[in-house]
Amino acid sequence: MGRGRHPGRVGRGTALRIDFSIDGGLAAFPGLARPVSIHCDALPAHENARLRDLVRRADFFALPPQEPSRGGGPDARAYTIAIDDGSQCRTVTVREPIADPALRDLVAELRDKAMAERRPK
Amino acid sequence: MSLIRARRQHLPGCCILPPDMLRRIALHGSRNQREAALDTLAVDQTLRLGRATYQLLESGARHGLLGVPTTAKQRTIYDAQGHETLPGRMVRAEGAGGVADVEVNEAYDGLGATFDFYAEVYDRNSIDDEGLRLDASVHYGRRYDNAFWNGRQMVFGDGDGDLFNRFTVSLDVIAHELTHGVTGDEAHLVYLDQAGALNESISDVFGSLVKQYARRQSAGEADWLIGEGLFTASVHGVALRSMKAPGTAFDDPVLGRDPQPATMAGYVHTSSDSGGVHTNSGIPNHAFYLAATGLGGFAWEKAGRIWYETLRDKRLKPTATFRQFARCTVQNAAHFFGPAERQTVSAAWAEVGIRAA
Repeated sequence: MGRGRHPGRVGRGTALRIDFSIDGGLAAFPGLARPVSIHCDALPAHENARLRDLVRRADFFALPPQEPSRGGGPDARAYTIAIDDGSQCRTVTVREPIADPALRDLVAELRDKAMAERRPK
Repeated sequence: MSLIRARRQHLPGCCILPPDMLRRIALHGSRNQREAALDTLAVDQTLRLGRATYQLLESGARHGLLGVPTTAKQRTIYDAQGHETLPGRMVRAEGAGGVADVEVNEAYDGLGATFDFYAEVYDRNSIDDEGLRLDASVHYGRRYDNAFWNGRQMVFGDGDGDLFNRFTVSLDVIAHELTHGVTGDEAHLVYLDQAGALNESISDVFGSLVKQYARRQSAGEADWLIGEGLFTASVHGVALRSMKAPGTAFDDPVLGRDPQPATMAGYVHTSSDSGGVHTNSGIPNHAFYLAATGLGGFAWEKAGRIWYETLRDKRLKPTATFRQFARCTVQNAAHFFGPAERQTVSAAWAEVGIRAA
């Protein structure tokens, strides 16, 4: 049986903050390793809704702190994701390749969002 | 066991380390050591399983009448079509002509150049020295900024197009990743702290040598860059790393500044990136550059040979430190060449702050 689902826990009514960093890969990039904060409420409505939906689908608050990987080997990247929705916060580190498609989709979205945040304004 | 491997095991100072030592670390090491040892064992077991399966399936085709493995390349390139499921659709098999997809052709050629280098220079029959077939998947994931060897095959992302180009573009990166397979087969260097930085450095050393060999460049002519061409024009940088001048490869508003030290004075103590494996590798990288340029000529002939024999040396432990590795290279320089080479290699390590003599 899979992890329990908590639909509605990451609803639109609560503030949602996500800290995201990338570790490893082919090289050490200090800029990517530095955590970036994504404030969902500051995003356009459709992006806010999509990100909340991805967090819910990944069942993020039920994940173990170290999500197991399937043999990524050297140079595989690791992601540290910390999410605070106002009532609970959780930090999860996940290493590639990511087995769970829902978690993989969340990480891909966070990579894009973090990149946008890192670009010089 | 191949005859090539059996013959090599009778050479002084050369053998294949059993995974027993890793298992002991997994049982009795510190928490970090245990985790790293388990990861390394997992990759190693995957490699060995893949090898055994391959041998069972294709032993008839691979072996001649005398039981000697052929040294022919067996490359297969797959298209993951933007998914993260491996291997994907087969798009080019060994001997087939080029296709319209540049990533397929670059992967095919890069695997071939790496295979040829190890076979022609060090008489090594593929990654495992037993003719392991070389598989690669391109177009892995969506805007995927990485390439890796997963213990069975190569995986290449397309890059995001903003910071990174396609990951097949750089021959030394392809050879870097395949060399992780060689290290996993020979030295089992734990991917943590100094042993992990040595693991990374060995991949850079042979990654660069594969490129130098393909270009027939001497140590003095080589650029000693790793990953040139990977960055898009918007990135302030020339490559991922510079073995000639660690810490100077990039300085970019998004990626940050190349953090690699060239000497022990700049050694970075960190828990990130498996203990700074991609950072502190700058130190042994620079020692290799100094040794290769000090010895002169083609770097794969002397410096490369010394490092290759050290990688296969039974004295090299999975948890080797920089100093232990350095001492091994100095001893192998004397053993395989002579006192002048020994002195040059020893001086190279001294220049990066490691007393190896």
